[in-house]
Amino acid sequence: MVVRVRIRNAETGSTVDMELELENTVEEIIEGVAAYWEKDPGAYVIRKGRRLLRGQQKVQELDISSNEELELIPDPEGGNR
Amino acid sequence: MDRLDRTRRIGWVDLDRIQEARVLIVGAGALGNEAVKDLVLFGFRHLDVLDMDNVVRSNLNRCVLFRENDQSSGRGKSEIVAERAREMSPEAEVVPLNGMVQSFGPEELGRYDIVLGCLDNVAARLHTNANTYHAGVPYIDGGTDGFRGKVQVVVPPLTPCLQCAMNRSHFKVMERRFSCTGEDTVFYQPKMAAEITTTSIIAAIQVREAVKLLSGKDTIEHVTYYDGMLGTSETFQLEQDPGCPNHTGVVLSEH
Repeated sequence: MVVRVRIRNAETGSTVDMELELENTVEEIIEGVAAYWEKDPGAYVIRKGRRLLRGQQKVQELDISSNEELELIPDPEGGNR
Repeated sequence: MDRLDRTRRIGWVDLDRIQEARVLIVGAGALGNEAVKDLVLFGFRHLDVLDMDNVVRSNLNRCVLFRENDQSSGRGKSEIVAERAREMSPEAEVVPLNGMVQSFGPEELGRYDIVLGCLDNVAARLHTNANTYHAGVPYIDGGTDGFRGKVQVVVPPLTPCLQCAMNRSHFKVMERRFSCTGEDTVFYQPKMAAEITTTSIIAAIQVREAVKLLSGKDTIEHVTYYDGMLGTSETFQLEQDPGCPNHTGVVLSEH
């Protein structure tokens, strides 16, 4: 079974549709869209509504509806130097 | 006239507790400068400031407490920040600590009421997060990248921790910083985009959360992301990661 979701790029507003297997993890989604958008190496998180998703969560645990939108957000790590 | 007269007019602020609280600021760079400035102006009186670096000229676009001649003084960032903070608030006891947070374990961190993370890398954040969590000390972490920033509030044992929010992309960033050739370990520190407007907003949120926490108010749950280009901020909830080593054997309650 596959679930079709839309991922929004928080930095550009652009979107991409993905077909995910229930066994896919959030980390795999991050790596897939980061590669698709040729993102700079860096830390990213994905949110679903008001919730940040854990990296090792599987799609089957996420309670995702078909065509639901998730968002890829860069996770800032600077602040000292 | 009492210099904190206007602060006292905010009825819910527990200024007595704030003035007694011991706060550690980890990092005396961009966020650390702003956080210390806000803390002493708000009325905090017991601050320790930890950093291992000296001032360089490229710090001067975002560090309110540094001056042009600090770069040639040979003095550490923490020493300069402490001195300038005491000038702003003579009642404040601001102690500079020269070193790395990796030399601080739960015993050292357990001496504080709150720790503010003003860092620039995942490894130092993970160390501070784990050791404050095990010491039972609230940790308020800030991060910036250009016009983006975030603040996460960790209150052990009530909330998820920083590591609960991390995934493989964070650990890949950390691996790149510590590339090992077999003979040497090379620490690579990229120069990140940084400017004062986002720095000041993120540090202000960190200090405001410290004020709320010490005054018995609810803090953000659990991470606030700020986007300076859109002028928006949003707060997201996190779940405890059952695989996170910081929560082994710890039963979390709702926060």
